[in-house]
Amino acid sequence: MALMTTLRSLRQRRRAEREFDDEAAFHLEMETEANIARGMSREEARLTALRAFGGVVQTREHVRDTRALRVESLWLDVRYAARALMAQRRFTCAAAGMLALAIGLGTAMFTVLDALILRPVPFRDPAQLAHVWMGTDRGGRVVVSPAVLKAWRESAAFEAAESAMSATVLLQVGETVVARESATVTPGIFKMLSNVRTLRGRLFDPTDGRPGEADRVLVSETLWRTVYGSDPAFVGSSITVDGRRSVVIGVLPSDFRFPSADTVLWRPTNLTGRAEMAKAYVRFASNMMRADSLRLATEAARAADGNTAQLRPWVYPLAGLTDSNATQSVRVLAGGVVLVFLVLCANVSGLLLARLTARRREFAMRAALGASRARLLRQALAESALLAALGMAGGAAVAWAFVPVSQQVIPETLLLQTLNPLTLNGRALLMTSAFGVVAILVSGLLPAWLGTSLPAGDSLRVVDRGATETPAARMVGRALVAIEVALACTLLVGATVLTRSFVNMSQADRGLQTDGITTVWLALGSSAATDPAGRAGIARSVEDQLRQLPGVRQVAWSYGLPPHGGMLSFGEWTSDRPGALPINLNLERYVVTPDLFALYQIPIVRGRGFTSSDTFNNVIVSQALASRLWGDADPIGHSFRFIQETFQVVGVAREIHFPSLDPRADLPEFYHPYTDVPSTPMVSLRCEPGCPDAAVIRHRLASSHPTVRVQAAGTVDRKYVAELARPRAAAAVALTFAVFALTATAAGLFSVLSYAVTRRRREFGIRTALGATPRRVRHVVLRDGLIVAAIGLAVGTVFAIPLSGALRSLQYGVTSSDPLSWAIVLATVALTAMAASWFPARSAARLDPIVLLREE
Amino acid sequence: MPKTEYLQGALDLLILRTLALGANHGWGIQQRIRQVSGEALAVSQGSLYPALHRLEAAGLLSSEMSTSENNRKARIYSITAAGRRRLTVETEDWRQFTLAIRRLLQEG
Repeated sequence: MALMTTLRSLRQRRRAEREFDDEAAFHLEMETEANIARGMSREEARLTALRAFGGVVQTREHVRDTRALRVESLWLDVRYAARALMAQRRFTCAAAGMLALAIGLGTAMFTVLDALILRPVPFRDPAQLAHVWMGTDRGGRVVVSPAVLKAWRESAAFEAAESAMSATVLLQVGETVVARESATVTPGIFKMLSNVRTLRGRLFDPTDGRPGEADRVLVSETLWRTVYGSDPAFVGSSITVDGRRSVVIGVLPSDFRFPSADTVLWRPTNLTGRAEMAKAYVRFASNMMRADSLRLATEAARAADGNTAQLRPWVYPLAGLTDSNATQSVRVLAGGVVLVFLVLCANVSGLLLARLTARRREFAMRAALGASRARLLRQALAESALLAALGMAGGAAVAWAFVPVSQQVIPETLLLQTLNPLTLNGRALLMTSAFGVVAILVSGLLPAWLGTSLPAGDSLRVVDRGATETPAARMVGRALVAIEVALACTLLVGATVLTRSFVNMSQADRGLQTDGITTVWLALGSSAATDPAGRAGIARSVEDQLRQLPGVRQVAWSYGLPPHGGMLSFGEWTSDRPGALPINLNLERYVVTPDLFALYQIPIVRGRGFTSSDTFNNVIVSQALASRLWGDADPIGHSFRFIQETFQVVGVAREIHFPSLDPRADLPEFYHPYTDVPSTPMVSLRCEPGCPDAAVIRHRLASSHPTVRVQAAGTVDRKYVAELARPRAAAAVALTFAVFALTATAAGLFSVLSYAVTRRRREFGIRTALGATPRRVRHVVLRDGLIVAAIGLAVGTVFAIPLSGALRSLQYGVTSSDPLSWAIVLATVALTAMAASWFPARSAARLDPIVLLREE
Repeated sequence: MPKTEYLQGALDLLILRTLALGANHGWGIQQRIRQVSGEALAVSQGSLYPALHRLEAAGLLSSEMSTSENNRKARIYSITAAGRRRLTVETEDWRQFTLAIRRLLQEG
């Protein structure tokens, strides 16, 4: 009722006023008539009535005040807050800007977390979707056969069962050929995932994919825009896929990613083709237990296909980070954002506190005029709420700008593990508002409480003197800065450790020289390649072609490419040392021509290199393997066993290293001589000044050897670059955060000290008048700032201890307790604190007592 | 006509008591208070109307624009259930208060 009246009064304020005028007029008339009845003349009766009524206007205003209750006064608060913020533009810009940065970073981070961890499968009811393989309990996994998939569709095991097989296809566009990822899917898959809609054209219908009608394709918006130039008449036109003409029937939005993040073309199948494979994706029925579904599926599979008698279905998620290291790095990133968010909120809080305490006179005046504490609090909170609203608007813009940046910074290996397109969406904007609310609560509540706390009675008197801050506000302001220093210090420790990791890793000893080396992986696909002599002949003529390319100086053949590209052998290795026990080791094995060592500049440190008389079991071991098997003894002439084989050591090569965050990636190795050309050999080329582009090599071999296929070609360095992507991203992000935090902290310290200096002008003036030197006054302020920074540093050191544990998966060759890292952090924080304190200190030292006394 | 100062609580009580007898407009309430108190209590319009609107905002009264007995537009106030409850409480408080005052005065 009261609320209705309130709302009514807000909406129909004019009408309420008019109604009161009616009410007053009625009252006057009644009074006049009563006076006439008492025997007065009409004129006299009216005047008496008016006199008795008093001021109509005052009464009307009084009535309006009582009616204009909460909502309207809230509106007044907001208008007042807006005027206050407008009046202090610099403060408003600084505070709203920091809130926008905090909220925007938070939102962008949430978008990343959402895409990578919370919601990697952005389809309807993703918990019910699964990717299914058949397998034994011992670990072997095979794809589901088409017969089984069809049986599942007819059984009650799943709500839907569909197939999607990925493949790389070659698209011919004009004169060029590009390779892209595609998938062959059953037509029902789009309906199973969610309500997928095409941008143009239509989806597959059940008739698509029948033999003879398989030449229809769906194309992603990305492919349409990048490769086909957004051709408006694209749907209905035909494109060349793997040499076959196919009709485009529709364009899917770029947000749709399935079955892989990089799939851009879909072809239909109904699984009736010969030897066709299925890769099953299913949707569980929501009303059936998982175990029951899987039992039904097992029964149906065994009835449909005799080959699966020993197998049962195994369920996997469609996407998402499976690597714990990757998940950990995303968590660390999120933790960093939380710290930056807190630093920025603490900073805004400090600004608000300074501003509200500066306005204590105003609050005291209002309190003296009868405003309650609650009323003042509401006023103060209205200002921070308005700031937060500004921050939210700015934050959405910041997030909008940050999300594409994060897509560039996050390593592709992580991005490919999600089907979520990582775009700013409704969920993220909801988070923006949530962050806004948290920001206003974190940053606004405490200053509002302190700013409006006025000691009863003496408030006006004390405040009027404008002498010093209240002790509480002073304490809290410094505590806020100390917290900022602590958080910034924690972020800085993280940033230093991660940056040093990155530098260490990029400068780590690799044990070989890869500059100017390009490798080519071939497939000798002709009929002549079936016997060793034929393969050797092809290899010789391919080598002749490659040597004619511009700049090529050295050529070496191998199977397996260093670094980190050999054949992996896991198991027990036994040396011929008397009484030697088998050692469990993971090793890399390379099959190489003698000149490969020279090409990669891997020195043979003991024994000899390969000669043409060596057999496959004469091997060169790496230093690490030699010391594992024989310790310090000379291994030349010794042998070692692996399962049934025995290898004779003819030489020891320098160890090659593959720097990686994952210590398991860098394995010891040994080399076999290249006694036989395999059907998929690798060639390494060393060129000066640089090797020809991969495309040039492909083109040269395509014209000279049409049957030889280039499976991959590129520089060796790209392996290191890919491995460095994660530490580089981590270091870049951590450094950015640390710079944000440090800048905000410096600004916070600066504003707190400047404010303190303004409040203590009289004190400094008097000190100077009594003979204090400017140097002495400057020291007072500097000491103030440095004490706060020192406390923050001490707390930050404590904060940094759990951080070192969290960062372990991102560290390379450095620890959080590393003295150099700490020295860098301490020096940076100390210098920042000095710089931030210097200007307030100087302005305190320059105060002129004469001017101050005149002001009084 | 003697002017009597009284507490705001008393004014609320008088209004609620008057309206408990039947819905009325502002002027009617004022007249009724004056008559019943034997001209001893005069409520000025400047206090009456804000009080009426305040009580309405508090949900103790409700009002609507309608036509008065002499066919004029007037706002008619009536008491709500919450208003009646408040009246009972306030009446009891007032009774206790006046009793206390009377005892105090009789002592001397």
